[in-house]
Amino acid sequence: MSEITLVSKDGSELSLSREAADLSPVLRSMLSRPYLEEQQSKITLNEIKPDVLKKVVEYLEYCRQYRNAGEDEDIPEFEVPTEMSLELLLVADFLNI
Amino acid sequence: MYRGRNRSKNNKDAEDGSVRGPNSALTQFLKEQGISAESIRQRWLKSREKEGEDDTEGVKKEDGEEDDQSLSASARPKREEGGIESADEYDKSDEEDDEEEEEEDDDDADDSESRFTTQGRLRADGRSVETRLKRFAAESEDSDEEEYDEGMSSRTISETPVPLQQEDHALKLKKSKQQLQQRRRKKKRAAELLDRKTRRISTLQDICISLISSNISKLQKETSSSDETLSQQIRQTLGGISTENMNKLARTLSKNRALNDHTLQLFLRTDLESLTFHDCSKVSYEGYKLLAIFAPHLSELSLQMCGQLNNEALLYIAQKLPNLNALYLDGPFLINEATWDAFFALMKNKLKAFHISNTHRFTDHSLRSLLENCGESLVSLRLSRLDAVFDYSLVPQYLKNPSFEHLSLEYPNKEELVSDDIVIDALKQVGPSLKHLSLNGCFALTDETFISAKDALSSKNSSSSVLENLQLEELDQITTDGMVYFFSGIQLPNLKNCSLRRCFLLQDMAVSELFLNEASKSLTNLSLNSLKDVKGECFEAMECPKLKRLDVGFMGCVNDKLVKCLGERNPSLEILEVFGDNLVSRKAVIRPGLTVIGRQSDTL
Repeated sequence: MSEITLVSKDGSELSLSREAADLSPVLRSMLSRPYLEEQQSKITLNEIKPDVLKKVVEYLEYCRQYRNAGEDEDIPEFEVPTEMSLELLLVADFLNI
Repeated sequence: MYRGRNRSKNNKDAEDGSVRGPNSALTQFLKEQGISAESIRQRWLKSREKEGEDDTEGVKKEDGEEDDQSLSASARPKREEGGIESADEYDKSDEEDDEEEEEEDDDDADDSESRFTTQGRLRADGRSVETRLKRFAAESEDSDEEEYDEGMSSRTISETPVPLQQEDHALKLKKSKQQLQQRRRKKKRAAELLDRKTRRISTLQDICISLISSNISKLQKETSSSDETLSQQIRQTLGGISTENMNKLARTLSKNRALNDHTLQLFLRTDLESLTFHDCSKVSYEGYKLLAIFAPHLSELSLQMCGQLNNEALLYIAQKLPNLNALYLDGPFLINEATWDAFFALMKNKLKAFHISNTHRFTDHSLRSLLENCGESLVSLRLSRLDAVFDYSLVPQYLKNPSFEHLSLEYPNKEELVSDDIVIDALKQVGPSLKHLSLNGCFALTDETFISAKDALSSKNSSSSVLENLQLEELDQITTDGMVYFFSGIQLPNLKNCSLRRCFLLQDMAVSELFLNEASKSLTNLSLNSLKDVKGECFEAMECPKLKRLDVGFMGCVNDKLVKCLGERNPSLEILEVFGDNLVSRKAVIRPGLTVIGRQSDTL
């Protein structure tokens, strides 16, 4: 599966698997045919701070890992630092995740 | 419903030692006294240890030694002759919650140990140590504790050397911890199921919202003066959040009983047009006034459990919210007749939707006032559990709006108050445009209503209706013939939600006819709960491609085979409720993506 690169506000780059990026309907449609992002496999998210974006990537990978977890398998809690919760909510709202 | 529950106002109550939750008074007492299964076990282990030391020193106790004062005697002092009382204590303490047990392990062990030791010494009657230990082992075998430490050496009298026993003990502790964790996981999963949550991973938005809500309430407890500025800060940041998330936040706050005048401020000075508060019991009349002043764009407002909403605040809402056209109130029992009059006069021809439930002060006069002032503009009306309304015949007289959509007449004070004639008249007035019809708990209704409804609901030139929501719960006089006539005579191609819960007389034919109706293509939610005369043949005709939730609880005919078949026939089905269906066992084949809730075998 190909890797997708996300670029945050300060220009720093984070990569995640295509499969994980597809879990966000917004990212998924950005990566679909008519858009430039599809060719570059790179999405620039100018509004999102690097630490928040890192958490988002962490969450998407967490979802990818556990979404098909069996009934008896233990899914750990996803930890969100309190001070980030509001910003993260805004971003999660934007990305629809 | 919610009214019966008296929740403690804060955690202090619990600490005071008042009885709460599923704990019995005895459990509470034992907890206060520091008596728990674990502490007894710990003490006994210690005593074993001591005994082991004694053995190695070569000090052998003779059977039947009369003056045995060793600590091992204290291991189970009261249980000796305490008879029923002590046994009770032991068992009861086992019942305590996992968490509680865990917490107490450390705190209480010392405390109770010394007390027990003294008692034990006093009570030591001289029987041999071994007899006592044997009996202890035998008695504890059928206790719940076994679950936590299977194969525990304490169960039998072993001659294991001390160090080995300690290692064993550490291993046991680890094992029991794991088991506790597993239990907690199962509990969590069960709680999620009961919330009808099928997704095991919460969305990031939900995670954040729950974190924010918990912090708001925590901060409120900690700071009393500065929290206003804090709320304001939070709200400012929240300003950019979608309405949907705003309402989600309101719902989470309500669920945690955390909505009050302070948290209410989160929703002020926003552009919100629609707001729903599911639990306003802690919002004072001042809070409502603030809401009216600082959220001027509101057009739709839902205030559930608004017991503190007073006359002044209601009129304030009517005056200060120029765009308000939909108001949903539950429990506004402080509002008197005169205020209702004034309110409806103010809202004349503006009010499009008005739902009211659970108040004894909304009278016939108030209903007349509502209908006279706003009858022409109303498109949605719900009257539920109004104990002072006796004349429901007013409703059909005034409902004239050709685009009327939502009619709910539920749980009248006396069953005869909502009769066939009244409902038939109302449907004749507004039937063709009706999208939501709810007649829950109108026990007096018979087949007559539905025979007429067939024509009344259909639009002029066709035999189909635009109905999307049909709620007919607890209509115990409607029969299979009546419903067959209804469902066969009118097509309901838009029907999404349908509840026939507790319509006891309905049999297979009635339900089959529903599945043969066009409604089957659009249904997403269906409740057939408690239709005890249905034998199961109706499900052969069932094919609902969009059905997501199905409640077949308390239907004797539901078994493993049917569960499998329901999963296969309805590809979109996500939740199947089978509470009270004792023929559904753990062997049932459940297709992936379907969650079955309420099986007896799914115990913790």
